[in-house]
Amino acid sequence: MDMGKNKVIKWFSAQWTGNPLFSTTLALCAIIILQTCALGFDYASFGEWWSKFCNNWIIVLRNNATTGIVSLGMAFVIISAGIDLAVGSTFVASGALFLLLLDSSGAGLLPAAGLSGWPAFGIAVVLVVLFGALLGGVNGVLVADGGIPPFIVTLGTMKIYRSVTQHFMQGRSPTFPSSDFGSFSTVTIGGYMVMPIVYWLLIAAILYVISKKTVFGTHVVAVGSNEKAAKLTGISVKAVKRMVYVMTGALVAFASVIQICRIGSMDYSNAGSGYEMDAIASVIVGGTRMSGGRGTVIGTMLGVLIIGVMNNLLNLYGVPPFLREAFKGVIVIIAVLLQKKEATS
Amino acid sequence: MLIEFSNIYKSFGPVEVLHGVSMSVKGGQIMALLGENGAGKSTLMNILGGLLRADSGEIFLDGSPVVMRSPNESIAHGIAFIHQELSPVNDLRVYENMFLGREERKRFGFLDRAKMRQKARELLADLEIEIDEETYMRDLDASHKQIVEITRALLCEARTIIMDEPTTSLAEHEIELLFKLVRKLVAQGVGIIFISHKLNEVKDLCTDYVVLRNGYVVASGKMDEVTTEQLSEHIVGHELAQMSRTAVMHHEDEVLRVEHLSRERQFSDVSFSVKSGEILGVTGLLGDGRSELFRSIFGDTPDYEGQVYLDGQPFHAKSTSQAIRAGIVLVPSNRKENAIIPDLSVLYNGTLATLKRYCRLGLLRRAPQESEFLVHAADFRLKYGKLDDLVTTLSGGNQQKVVLSRWLNTNPRILILDNPTQGVDIGAKQEIYEIIRKVASTGVAVVVLSGEGQEIIRLCERTLVMYHGRIVGELRGDEMTEQAIMKYATGLGA
Ligand SMILES: Nc1ncnc2c1ncn2[C@@H]1O[C@H](COP(=O)(O)OP(=O)(O)OP(=O)(O)O)[C@@H](O)[C@H]1O
Ligand SMILES: [Mg+2]
Repeated sequence: MDMGKNKVIKWFSAQWTGNPLFSTTLALCAIIILQTCALGFDYASFGEWWSKFCNNWIIVLRNNATTGIVSLGMAFVIISAGIDLAVGSTFVASGALFLLLLDSSGAGLLPAAGLSGWPAFGIAVVLVVLFGALLGGVNGVLVADGGIPPFIVTLGTMKIYRSVTQHFMQGRSPTFPSSDFGSFSTVTIGGYMVMPIVYWLLIAAILYVISKKTVFGTHVVAVGSNEKAAKLTGISVKAVKRMVYVMTGALVAFASVIQICRIGSMDYSNAGSGYEMDAIASVIVGGTRMSGGRGTVIGTMLGVLIIGVMNNLLNLYGVPPFLREAFKGVIVIIAVLLQKKEATS
Repeated sequence: MLIEFSNIYKSFGPVEVLHGVSMSVKGGQIMALLGENGAGKSTLMNILGGLLRADSGEIFLDGSPVVMRSPNESIAHGIAFIHQELSPVNDLRVYENMFLGREERKRFGFLDRAKMRQKARELLADLEIEIDEETYMRDLDASHKQIVEITRALLCEARTIIMDEPTTSLAEHEIELLFKLVRKLVAQGVGIIFISHKLNEVKDLCTDYVVLRNGYVVASGKMDEVTTEQLSEHIVGHELAQMSRTAVMHHEDEVLRVEHLSRERQFSDVSFSVKSGEILGVTGLLGDGRSELFRSIFGDTPDYEGQVYLDGQPFHAKSTSQAIRAGIVLVPSNRKENAIIPDLSVLYNGTLATLKRYCRLGLLRRAPQESEFLVHAADFRLKYGKLDDLVTTLSGGNQQKVVLSRWLNTNPRILILDNPTQGVDIGAKQEIYEIIRKVASTGVAVVVLSGEGQEIIRLCERTLVMYHGRIVGELRGDEMTEQAIMKYATGLGA
């Protein structure tokens, strides 16, 4: 008995110090338990409780799918020892392009070119994703080839992308043909609206493979961990850096497509604002090191969930809206405190 | 001060690396701590330095038990630690690095820069070292950084100084300066623990020795009662064959030719050539520019003047990846700064330069990656836990072997090795020499940069000696002796 207890403690402490995802997972479990309590676990009517539980989860996941996708890109950027503050602005700029392309109020670029229906939609998505990649590429080139610190570069483009979008969209009000294409995000499976979640998981799966099984994934870690050594190993450090921003731009643009299909419009001054901070917070909570070199796709997913479920929980417990951000702040700080054990052990 | 280790045990996870180690050092002693790569030397010292905690056993200072809970506590006890893997702050100036964490202050806590500069300058002058205390750390080469690190320990007026392989990136001349200084300190009653794999210097400097093998003390005593042969036997556990010299052979095909290469303040008007299958040495003292020269050829700092020819064709690598594609490979010196990726595993660090080769449809395949690495791991007798452990869990010498594996995988045409045996133990050194000879015998042109006379003499068929950025001498075969090399290296050759 005593031996068994000892073993558990040993295992626990080994995981605690050795496995960077352990504390994150624990935190997530704790929050889920709180959530269960909030939903009022009721043994007698298990079926009813269960459906409430599932429903709640699907809402949480769906609401976080867009930030989830953005966070995955952000994780790659941060692992490469960069940062991308321009994700929110890229989100709104690519969203605006998407609306202009498919506008159903007469001025749509693709309808004007004689394209309609799903082919037009497909072309629009490809163009928007390329556009996002281009915006990301501008960041990447300035960081990699211009040698400007990523914080500064993306702080600049964050301002530029949004303000130019706002200016350009002044007096234009494209309408999204929701009845034609909204189903890209809103079609239901088994009665649940899960498409955003499906896209998120799909992208996560692809990025997981990229991070674990490709040369590029390893090079991102190498660049973030020891740039000088990476360069001397013949890794094209510049190409790796450009690529992570391009990738993030493309992911953000796709997230924007999902969002517009779901809600049918975009508010150019507010959409996507705060995404950079939410994404950074999720990435950090997910165990990624701010200075680069360490981080995982799975950790980032957990980080997004923790922040997402936390939001949901604050909602369920009726915490006043203005205080919610404070809770997020606390979570981020605790997460980083937990990670500090790495430095001392 | 008397330091006693009593029955120290230490494990990392399931692996026990120190099995009850006891030893002692007192003021006025220079204790050589010897042993193979991975024997546990750094681990033992990290316990004294407050970086690791022993699982059991005690440390006594002047008879009273102490526990070092942090590096600061260890320093407070008068123990200074010069680490094997340096961690200079590259964005600070030399004097700021020297005083890091122990800054001189004026009233209200303001920094007393004038005083720090003054003290730094005095100390550097004492040591006869030409480093301007105002230069940024990042502008110094590895050996200068090493010297600054050593001065840090001297500044805090420690009563015991631990030196974990302090000479691996120094050339003979600086080593002598260091030794002079160590002897001066010892005369003042300071105790030194000196870790090194270079037995000649150990024999020359130290008064006592302790040998660790696989975490056990296997021998100890007075230095003047053993020979270097006996020491090496204790270290490896069996008799070591006399190191042979590489046979000088005739080589036909010129692979690399360099004409009138210059780069401001680093090297000037350098011309030489290397042939296929040849092992060429390049040596000199600190500031001779050999590392910078080959970094330029390798495309890391491609803004040089002059012309490089590869197989007779003009060639100018604009980037390291271009050089590698052309078959030129450079194993840089100072692995921690230039080679080790601390967040990648042993396996990935050992195969980082050749990852593309293991891919199918863009996806890495583990099997070929592993099998290729394991060949080198066996050749080098690499000591590691699991292939997926972080590379930083390996001992210093074993990390060096991983770095070498990374490059030997690439099947280069020209292999440039900068200080290839940094921190490698005597047994493994012979094996590495053997491997380099084997590589050369397949027609690879090998260039070995080293400040260690014996390494050049044993391994190379021919050597260039550099002095202040110029080639001042060339020695071949039996002409290569430490005296001849030193004569040129100090600029007295002409
Ligand atoms: N943090 C760690 N985690 C796991 N294993 C470790 C860690 N640090 C050291 N080891 C292991 O402990 C053993 C002793 O390492 P140590 O660094 O003390 O060797 P060393 O005698 O200093 O060797 P070298 O001459 O190569 O520097 C090695 O096998 C190493 O792999
Ligand atoms: Mg060591």
